[in-house]
Amino acid sequence: MSHHTDGNAIAGLLEERYGTDMTATMRTCQSCGQEWAIGAHRLYRGAGLVLRCPNCRDLAAVIVEKRIERFGIWGEELV
Amino acid sequence: MTWRVATIRESRVETPQAKTLVLDVPDWPGHLAGQHVDIRLTAEDGYQSERSYSIASAPDAAALELTIERIDDGEVSPWLTEEAREGDQFELRGPVGGYFVWKASLSGPVLLVAGGSGLVPLMAMLRHHRATGSQADMRLLLSARTHEDVLYRRELDSSFRDMMYLTLTREEWDGWSRRVDADILREVGPGPEEHPHVYVCGPTAFVEEAARLLVELGHLPAAVHTERFG
Repeated sequence: MSHHTDGNAIAGLLEERYGTDMTATMRTCQSCGQEWAIGAHRLYRGAGLVLRCPNCRDLAAVIVEKRIERFGIWGEELV
Repeated sequence: MTWRVATIRESRVETPQAKTLVLDVPDWPGHLAGQHVDIRLTAEDGYQSERSYSIASAPDAAALELTIERIDDGEVSPWLTEEAREGDQFELRGPVGGYFVWKASLSGPVLLVAGGSGLVPLMAMLRHHRATGSQADMRLLLSARTHEDVLYRRELDSSFRDMMYLTLTREEWDGWSRRVDADILREVGPGPEEHPHVYVCGPTAFVEEAARLLVELGHLPAAVHTERFG
């Protein structure tokens, strides 16, 4: 049925990249305007990690891993 | 965020599918109830697998405990539940997560809603509540398949009986025998007018449905914390 988990699952990866917990950080969706914690966002695993707004499902972030380096391309600014 | 080497001090069978590992982790910085850790296993050929597991022990406990449910085609859980023995070691980092946490210093009532092994991080909250002598009105609604599948059954019976509500989805008994619905949530309470902090953890479909029902009942979406494990 549902093939996603949520932002909590990448708490470690985000903390590794940003140096602090990001799951409690609130993000305002540029599409629907709702504000949700990163931990509550939908996480899809495929060829990389995709984070989506839990309300309208618009793209929040894409994270890809290349060898041992990781980098993220954020769709929008984190608030 | 450093990887540490964890050593298995003891393992306990919880259900036919789940085991609790009691770990020794040098320089463990302590954790909050609801947080999890990342575990990394490395095969002889260098292949690595990483998974997240919720911490079951209270921040106040002497040792770090994880409860692992076996996923038959998993890369990490079969080793942790079937092969790992006392004295075995693996890499671990954390604790991580700041969204799905409850602190005893937080005021207000608390509603915990667990589907199956989604009970694990909520158990850390229950244990923390007990260890700190918290006066907060904390209630647990647990949905499990059968009595056999209930994690920590003895401890729940002995220490949290008055706080606990159980529904079984695959067993007829003298309590609820159905999936969590609005009537059950209404009966368990606390209602939205009491502004409880709500924590819902379990399989994705369970969490989505419970969170939807809670918001329909009038709980603020921001007060309903969710953790989905797939």
